[in-house]
Amino acid sequence: MQDSALTKDRASSRWERRRIITFAALVAPVFIFRLITAAYPILNTIWLSFTNMSMLNQTNEFVGFANYVQMTKDPAVRSGIGFTVGYVLVSTALQLVLGLLVALMLNASYRGRGFGRAVNLIPWAIPTIVAAYAFRWLLDDQFGLIPQWIFQITGHRPVIFISPFGAQSAVILVNVWKNVPFMAIIFLAGLQGVPLDLYEAAKVDGSNTWQRFWYITLPLVMPLVVTMSLFFVVWQLANFDLVYGLTYGGPGTATVTLALRIFQEGMLFYKFGYASAISVALLLLVGLVGLIGLVINRKVEINL
Amino acid sequence: MTSTKLFNTEQPGASKRSGFSTEGYKLGKRVNVSLYYFCLIIFSLIILIPFYWLVKSALSNQEQILKSPPIYFPNPTLENFGILSEQVPLVRFITNSLIFSIFSALISVFISFLAAYAFARIQIKGSGLLQLLLVLSMSLPEIALIIPLYRILALLKMLDSLVGLILVLSSVLAPFTVWVLISFIKQVPYEIEEAAIIDGASILQVIFQIVMPVTAPGLVTMLVINFINGWNNLLYPLTFASTEKAKTLSVGITYIFFARAPWGLPWNLVSTLGITMVIPVVILVMFSQRAIVAGLTRGAIK
Repeated sequence: MQDSALTKDRASSRWERRRIITFAALVAPVFIFRLITAAYPILNTIWLSFTNMSMLNQTNEFVGFANYVQMTKDPAVRSGIGFTVGYVLVSTALQLVLGLLVALMLNASYRGRGFGRAVNLIPWAIPTIVAAYAFRWLLDDQFGLIPQWIFQITGHRPVIFISPFGAQSAVILVNVWKNVPFMAIIFLAGLQGVPLDLYEAAKVDGSNTWQRFWYITLPLVMPLVVTMSLFFVVWQLANFDLVYGLTYGGPGTATVTLALRIFQEGMLFYKFGYASAISVALLLLVGLVGLIGLVINRKVEINL
Repeated sequence: MTSTKLFNTEQPGASKRSGFSTEGYKLGKRVNVSLYYFCLIIFSLIILIPFYWLVKSALSNQEQILKSPPIYFPNPTLENFGILSEQVPLVRFITNSLIFSIFSALISVFISFLAAYAFARIQIKGSGLLQLLLVLSMSLPEIALIIPLYRILALLKMLDSLVGLILVLSSVLAPFTVWVLISFIKQVPYEIEEAAIIDGASILQVIFQIVMPVTAPGLVTMLVINFINGWNNLLYPLTFASTEKAKTLSVGITYIFFARAPWGLPWNLVSTLGITMVIPVVILVMFSQRAIVAGLTRGAIK
């Protein structure tokens, strides 16, 4: 990067202009795409949230904060915010711990590790909707494999998707199953970046495995842990496919997420204004998490 | 090259053998290894059991599937594929899925490659800010933009068309692709390009004749990752496609799921379609595991 580019050459203004034009021409396609499909939509969503635009009622007027007022009274949205935040926090915590454990397992040297690494990629690679249906079927109260095994062991057959707690746990567990591998891939790369002489030196000094993990590995991968949890939280807050396939928000509204609610209000009932207001709530939530993450990130960097 | 750099992890074993091995240490190591195997087996089972269940259900007929306790190894039958193609336009869905994911991958990688080259090689004021904006746009929740996108596509007469879907997904995939490709390009020494520029090569010649061949591994990696993303995408086809003209396999499987039969959910058909969707990506993953991991980690670790 330092020895880069055209900087070395004479900085005549013609040359400079040509560079700017070249740069602009090269980044233009991506930025035109992003302007149309991200920048404009985000502004439009904010605008729509102050209207009562509805495809079915054929209305489109400015209504101020009416949608937001309605939202605070909507039980589905209120429980949606609660469940979205709860499931994302619990999932991310589990994913961090399990992701690190899987990464440690895949980083150690033994035969068969390559197989483990290949298997690890599968949950990441398969469609979320297929994973959701596979588990829905695996956990089916009548013919599912897991309830059957639980029945054979305990004599009691659990009915998972009927109880709010069962359904919520199922969403979290499938989410963890689907995303731990990705977390592990990143941690694995982080572990491989830890200098080996540190371990050797610590070994010479008589440290045990646990001490080496606690005082060398963990501090060194900590910045990665913070970055990844921030990324995972933001990303999972908006996850749609999993709940759509696994529970569709049920039973009742026990597993409704904001993303599912936006889809239902916007794309099934065509209440564009109201759905946009929920979208803005989701955006604020994402922004809030982003801010908290940045603050924590800075703290971790200073501590190191 | 990149993948070997990231993943030659032969070091621990090699250095362990080099002197510290007292008897007690060896014993400890053996215990350690069997612990690893134990964990690996549990881990693989947890990941693979859902697949066993899908495959088993896809090969069972309606009667075999509704048994409690379940039949673990049914008489395999392929009749589900026949029933499935009667109920949904299976070939059409597969074709649409392929077109959607292949073209989204190609377009996103192409435009991202151009932008990544500019970011990696041409230093101008504001370049950092533009990169930051691009990364920030990645964190916008897709679902929160879906209504304006729907309206834009309606305006452009691109609802229910694969072209519209491809354009939207290409754009969504671009920021991450740019991000990863920048690091692949920066890794290439600049001297060759410099020489070509001095010899009077145009910027496009430099990009396509010099940089593209040497960054080919990175480009292929991103093509694979973006293909998988497209193949797995549900949200866009589900919201924008209203007829089988643009519907993909991921929408097809929700159809089968919601089409309740009198005896309950047609799990054998859901499983059959699920397997149809899973097999291509699993094959892809097996063949390009290292490349995929290199690409994913490039994005997260600078």
